[in-house]
Amino acid sequence: MSAATQPVGRRVSPRAAGDFLKNNPIYVAIALLVIVTSVVEPKFLTLNNFDNIVRQFGVLIFAALGMTFVIMAGFLDLSIGGIISLVAVVTVTLIDPIGQGPAILVGLAVGLACGLLNSILIVASGALTQAESLFITFGMSLVYGAVALMYVQGVTQFLTYSESDISIFEALNSGQIGFLSVATVVFLVCLAILAVIEKRTYMGRSVVLTGGNKVAARLAGIPISRTIVMIYAISGLLSAIGAIVLISRVTLADPTMGTPYMTQAILAVVVGGTALIGGRGSVLWTVAGAFLLILLNNCLNLLGVSSYVQFMIWGVVLIAVIWLDAVKETRVSG
Amino acid sequence: MVVASAPEAPSAPEALLHVKDVSKAFPGVKALDRVTLDVRPGRVHGIVGENGAGKSTLMKILSGVYEKDSGEIVFEGNVIDKITPVQSMNMGLSIIYQELNLVNTMTVGENIFLGRFSESGGRAGVHAKAKALLKSIGSKVSTYRQVSELSVSDKQMVEIAKALSFDSKLIIMDEPSSSLTADEMEKLVQIIHDLKSKGIAIIYISHKLDEIFGFCDVVTVMRDGRVIATRDVSSITRNEMISMMVGRTIENEFPPRPDCAGETILEIKNINTRKLKDVKLTLRKGEILGLVGLVGSGRTELVRALFGADKVAKKSIYLEGRPVKISSPMDAIRLGLAMVPEDRKLQGLLLGFSVEQNISLAVLARLTEYGFINTKEEAAVGDRQIKALNVRTPSAKTKIRTLSGGNQQKAILGRWLEMSPKVLVLDEPTKGVDVGAKYEIYLLMKKIVEAGGAIILISSELPEVLNMSNRVNTICEGRINGEFDPVTASADEIMAKAFEFA
Repeated sequence: MSAATQPVGRRVSPRAAGDFLKNNPIYVAIALLVIVTSVVEPKFLTLNNFDNIVRQFGVLIFAALGMTFVIMAGFLDLSIGGIISLVAVVTVTLIDPIGQGPAILVGLAVGLACGLLNSILIVASGALTQAESLFITFGMSLVYGAVALMYVQGVTQFLTYSESDISIFEALNSGQIGFLSVATVVFLVCLAILAVIEKRTYMGRSVVLTGGNKVAARLAGIPISRTIVMIYAISGLLSAIGAIVLISRVTLADPTMGTPYMTQAILAVVVGGTALIGGRGSVLWTVAGAFLLILLNNCLNLLGVSSYVQFMIWGVVLIAVIWLDAVKETRVSG
Repeated sequence: MVVASAPEAPSAPEALLHVKDVSKAFPGVKALDRVTLDVRPGRVHGIVGENGAGKSTLMKILSGVYEKDSGEIVFEGNVIDKITPVQSMNMGLSIIYQELNLVNTMTVGENIFLGRFSESGGRAGVHAKAKALLKSIGSKVSTYRQVSELSVSDKQMVEIAKALSFDSKLIIMDEPSSSLTADEMEKLVQIIHDLKSKGIAIIYISHKLDEIFGFCDVVTVMRDGRVIATRDVSSITRNEMISMMVGRTIENEFPPRPDCAGETILEIKNINTRKLKDVKLTLRKGEILGLVGLVGSGRTELVRALFGADKVAKKSIYLEGRPVKISSPMDAIRLGLAMVPEDRKLQGLLLGFSVEQNISLAVLARLTEYGFINTKEEAAVGDRQIKALNVRTPSAKTKIRTLSGGNQQKAILGRWLEMSPKVLVLDEPTKGVDVGAKYEIYLLMKKIVEAGGAIILISSELPEVLNMSNRVNTICEGRINGEFDPVTASADEIMAKAFEFA
């Protein structure tokens, strides 16, 4: 076992590039989608449509970024749909009484608090498996959703009916900083912070170590409980940011509006290549995963595929990706 | 075709299994290189070699888990090319893995006839046949008991019965003794003799030379994916075998015993848990304290409680004369305690991470400034320990899962040595580690205590404890019940105490 090992070159050879594509089929898939769609529909490659993609990207991507840390640590967060709904209705209803700035802060605080509550329940119950975290956050998702419904009596709240100033929301929706939209800038800032945490900090290392082997990490002095609190807090906070971006786009808050984002976020993370069992992943991969999903959605829309069929395609994509991930896992550990 | 001939008696019976020039490569590693091997019926064929020598790869090819790249395998005159694990069992080739492959939540009988209920005559038939099979190997385990309740040795019996239920002609045992007590081992040897007399061939894979010399007829030594030699056990000496395994001559299995014990550094005044009763223990600076007990005696629970890994009802611990509170591994590490846990794969390694990241783990907090990890410093730590411990790895960035057991263990030791621990707990540090790496680990232990550290050594291998420790405590049923001087005490005396039931 000791002797024969090839030197590992740093320079990119054609073979290394081939290996990279083989191990990261997502880039091939993205390229294929872009080519196919632009051949079928020349309008696809216009700047207008690209802007559209980035806007759609916005809401899903925030939730997916937070979810990435949770999944990298070997857990799941099914409560983000409930959190998005709750934050949305709380924020919109508070604009008139306390003004838009404070309302947004309260909204973010609610998201953070929901995340913290999730983590406290998980730590206190001693739940250390993905399945346990799945059931706890699923339960909390129902709770947050129900609180949102009770809070507004099930009535949709319209942002545009506010009597106060809603300029921040307008800016989020249509404002520009240079040639980038405000929402895109917010996204890039979040991404940069999370990427640095992931790659450079003790916190980020704790996340992957926890996902890699909780028992060994704990015995080596890695603070598992603190890591769990952190990942769920981040997930809650980013869901809240996502909710506020969502409000600004659709100009209303509905107590069930967050529901679809839970599956989409998980899909984006896993499609991006983060291992569902934890220990391996990146927020940058998730960006690629989300991009692929939006692209696929866009492509299907342009091709006139009905939304019912699209739901089915999402399901197939999720299963295919998990399947490929499992194959990859057994290959590396075999 | 030329066969690399194994010198055997001319009267030897026709080979049951014929392995000829089998090769297998994994990316970057030639796992098997033209391996040739004959196994004859009614013989116990030992296979020895360091970890990574190719023993398990060969076994996995035989059972159909891996596919060979080239070469030929003939079993009972039939050429085997592509085969699934189930087909190989039906052909009469069974493997008993080290980590036994039983369904814990099912009964003994159900496990033996797993997936064959209807053709075995339903519930009644299954249990009757299972009972007969177990009886034939002298086991009295009830076929209605759930496997999770059985001891390791009983589970092994179930595995053997399962192999027999397939009318196996060849049974491969992969380090079966690693979790058996001496008593249970004796029983296994009895069964092996029994199987042998029925004409069944056995391939016995082991690290323990005593076992090879104890009951194997033929031995094949493997190294770096090659067969070094196949010999009759009666025509080879222990030292010859060791030097063939490691490719060099080893004078002694153990380095000279360190002798530098000083004043008391750690004092456990009392630890009480459900399993431990009023445990008291002292450890001196520069001392290696051996802790001997059976599996389940509380030896692992004791060190886990000390390290803060388990919740404890009551404990009072003094470090360097001062009382300390240890409620988590983090506390223990901060105080300068370190623990190499018993189960390397489950509790020690982060398999998907690099060697360097596995090493830096325990000092990660030290390498962190304002929340950021100093990766340069981390790389330096990794390099330093890889060099110091002679960890054989292609690079510091290599995933630790690709290393052999001995090198993985050295990397884990490096993880703890980097923090220069005051007290180092080693729970079965040489389990699944090959002879060469074992010696290096012993040397390291000596270096650690000579540098002023103190070691608690838990081991099921009594020679290791007797040769390395300065003092030996026995633990039985959760109590420390004896103290010995390993220089004067005999192995029998110590074992008798460890076996004593209160």
